[in-house]
Amino acid sequence: MKYKLLATAMLALSLAAPGIQAQTAPAGAATPAANAVNPASIQALKDMGTHLQSLKRFKVSTTLTGERVLADGQKLQHSAAADIEVARPNMLRARMFSSRAEREIFYDGKQATLFIPAQKYYSTVDFTGNLGELVSKLEERYGVEIPLADLFLWGTPAAPLDKISSAMNAGQDFIGTDLCDHYAFRQGDFDWQIWITTGAKPLPRKLVITNRTDDARPQSVSLIEWNLKPAFKDSIFKFTPPKGATAVELRSLDKK
Amino acid sequence: MKKSFTKLFLIPLAMIAVISFSMVPVADARPGGGGGGGGGGGARAHAGGAPKANNGNRDVRTNNVRSTSTNNVNANRNTNINANKNVNVNVNNNRGGCCGGGWDNDYHPVATAVAVTAAVGVTAAVVGSMVNTVPAGCVPVNYGGYIYQQCGGTWYQPQGGQYVIINPPY
Repeated sequence: MKYKLLATAMLALSLAAPGIQAQTAPAGAATPAANAVNPASIQALKDMGTHLQSLKRFKVSTTLTGERVLADGQKLQHSAAADIEVARPNMLRARMFSSRAEREIFYDGKQATLFIPAQKYYSTVDFTGNLGELVSKLEERYGVEIPLADLFLWGTPAAPLDKISSAMNAGQDFIGTDLCDHYAFRQGDFDWQIWITTGAKPLPRKLVITNRTDDARPQSVSLIEWNLKPAFKDSIFKFTPPKGATAVELRSLDKK
Repeated sequence: MKKSFTKLFLIPLAMIAVISFSMVPVADARPGGGGGGGGGGGARAHAGGAPKANNGNRDVRTNNVRSTSTNNVNANRNTNINANKNVNVNVNNNRGGCCGGGWDNDYHPVATAVAVTAAVGVTAAVVGSMVNTVPAGCVPVNYGGYIYQQCGGTWYQPQGGQYVIINPPY
């Protein structure tokens, strides 16, 4: 008898369950559409972009953890680090470190050079333009990515904010000892999060990008350290081939 | 300021610790011999001073990468053709099968699992295998921001102090 009651009760529950779901689902689906893009979060990006573009000379360092997805979906993490020295509008030097290689990029406003110190190979191309253009063109033409490329694009038309389909404030968090506002965005196939220092001079301190095109969702995490009073001189941006260095053609992507 | 110096000093140390822990045999060859690994701020893995990562013991499965993470949200991301460039490097050959394009990307898709198996038995140039030196007469080529050695039809990618044989990047 008891069993029969229990069975009846369970049957009733299982019958009722779909009804409950059917009732709640439309309400749940409607909520995000109402205010998917939080205007204050977009404004925070704008403010940060404006501040970034106003910085004339700075040094920024980053440590990155990236992920590779293997054939069966298992993920491997890897580490890399980079130092970037910048003098706007058109000088940049980046040093990139990974287990595979150390590489350097020099840009003095006239020429861009990629240098591999271990083998003393270098490739130089003529280029004029600001740092946003440098970042975009190097990537487009040669597949060369400058670390923290977004730093040079936020606050410019190359970082259109209307492509963001979802924006939210995720509260506050400390990165190191810096109090930061934490925002989360959805932009095309990528979900990304940024931690921006609070106050009148907003700087990004952490960036997380989740690639949604693979269901394993490989993610990169970049921590960002700032030095707004760097000691470097403009001469560091000019590349002079060291003794015994070999020039190598930089092959463009479209030249197959 | 003091704080950030300490951090800058700690980060590379931590990285070196991670690298030496994960890449089991850290290369024996330590150019310059001795010298004590970087005292001050220059502890980052500078060519010449620091040990080089050795990937000789790496499992072949680690070569079969189907996709990678992405490092920036804006560069070319919103414009059509390159939108998937970092994705599915083996299938979606927007880069001619080359690198994912990330500045951190020290990985080259050497082959799919099938190709690796197929190539075993060809002793000359097994894609995915590691060598210490490249043959004479190779030509360096800078593609996608990395320099490869092209030796006839065989391509080598520098990997720490060694080379791995890869599929042609383009």
